[in-house]
Amino acid sequence: MRASPFAELLAALIRQRGVTGALVVSEADGIVVDANVSIGLKAEVLAALSASLYRRARLAAAAAGYGEATFLQLEAAQGRICAVGRSDLVLVAVTEPGANVGLVRMEMLKGLQGGALG
Amino acid sequence: MTSIAVTEAWAEAPMRAFVDDARVQLAVLLHTSGQVLAQHGFGKRMDVMSACALAAAIHASASELGRMLDGKPFSGLHYAGRRKQIFLGVAETRRGPFLLLTVFDENASLGLVQLYFGEFRARLSTAAPEPAKDTTPLNEHFEGELNRNLSALFGRS
Amino acid sequence: MSDDIARLSEALARDPASLAFIELAEALRKRGDVEVATKVALRGLERHPHLGAAHDVLARLYADAGDLERAFDEWDMVLRFTPGHAGALKGLGFVRFHQGQLAEAERWLAQAAAADPADERNLGALAYVRQQLGTAAAPDAAAPPAEARAAASGHRATGTMGARELFADILGAEKGMALLLDEHGLVMAGGHEVDGRDVGQEVGAQLDSVGEEAERAMRHLGLGAWTSIVFETEQSTVAMAPGPENSLMLVSASRATPVGFVRRMLERSLQRAGRFLGGGR
Repeated sequence: MRASPFAELLAALIRQRGVTGALVVSEADGIVVDANVSIGLKAEVLAALSASLYRRARLAAAAAGYGEATFLQLEAAQGRICAVGRSDLVLVAVTEPGANVGLVRMEMLKGLQGGALG
Repeated sequence: MTSIAVTEAWAEAPMRAFVDDARVQLAVLLHTSGQVLAQHGFGKRMDVMSACALAAAIHASASELGRMLDGKPFSGLHYAGRRKQIFLGVAETRRGPFLLLTVFDENASLGLVQLYFGEFRARLSTAAPEPAKDTTPLNEHFEGELNRNLSALFGRS
Repeated sequence: MSDDIARLSEALARDPASLAFIELAEALRKRGDVEVATKVALRGLERHPHLGAAHDVLARLYADAGDLERAFDEWDMVLRFTPGHAGALKGLGFVRFHQGQLAEAERWLAQAAAADPADERNLGALAYVRQQLGTAAAPDAAAPPAEARAAASGHRATGTMGARELFADILGAEKGMALLLDEHGLVMAGGHEVDGRDVGQEVGAQLDSVGEEAERAMRHLGLGAWTSIVFETEQSTVAMAPGPENSLMLVSASRATPVGFVRRMLERSLQRAGRFLGGGR
């Protein structure tokens, strides 16, 4: 059985302190392509909602004249969602509130620039 | 406020929540026989009539196909067109199974529709009252029932 | 002076809800104990958040400490509770003068002159600023401008300044945007000018949908309420947060601006928005 082409990227992300879930999601469908999430995180729910949020932000940014969105971070009382996207795929990370978002961001952008999402 | 036309009041709240949350364009809740319970977004009587007839037929075929291939009926169906997508799902209640047919565009996604359909099933199951013995639709009364329902849904246009 | 401070301290110790904290903070300020005075003023404001005189003392303390932005915000607050407060108008003029914004300084000082025509020091400051601006002989040198008349007659300072400029000083030199949207996505304050045209409403309407999306997502994700969204684009960094009364605060800055600074702009704009909407401190 072949490993998913995203397994390495997701493993690198989940290794970051405070990261509880890492997923590759289809932006248009909001469906999980691959995921590495802690027990208790519902990957399907997270995929549908985070892809939709990223898509909305991307379209709104473009429509408002800000160009293509590169990185999104949503902060909530009990955690964060970070997302980067390319070619209809969105890489999503869920973190605890205290996670080092700078490191997570760097890892995600590294994955994006390294062509991990195509 | 989202407009939902219903023939059975208990179906209104779950339908409204689904349409609002999933942001779908069209949605119709029907009995497996084709009898309409609630609808959102259909402008014409003929549209909903055709949609219900087709949905009931598709469900019957898919169930049979599922039984043949997988030993059990398929419970959901999705078709993605270039701009619009269709999702058909089954919701079990104490009144028996109901079908939800919905059409959505880029404002929703399959993932979102599946997510909110899951919630819809739970809400519908809770909202459905005990079946009344004389309200089970009979095939021979299907057309009369359908016309009465359509009148309720669209007025006497 | 020391006797006064001891007397006021005792009065405050006997009755922590007393208004003696205003006098005590002022006495400490005059003695140069800015840090202690600031603590006294802030503690007093926790009990009496709507006292213009207390905000005035705090504003002067911030000005003494060189924190002009906070001083500006506090004087702005004073005008909310005491419209036409000459000291606050003068203070706002002072801040803008020190920031090199002479035209705005002139407007505030002119309003202060209208509110207290006997304040010769203010008149002297106004004349100096006008001289710097080269408007000493302008027709409005003698007659107070409309803003001054409005302030003197009791209109809200923010109203006279215009909601559109509410966040101008927070953006500063940034070529960015700050918009406060109501629950329907309509601009309540701030603006966004592109090629001389205000496109705030169009941009706001687009970005408002992101807030709605976040609202929906949070209902299912078990992460609690969302507190901010920051997204980086090719050209800008955009940040947003839910504000009071179901409003949405949006700010943006060029991509060259550090993300942390954009977040700081967002926080400050939110505080300002809270005051603008009458949410208190």
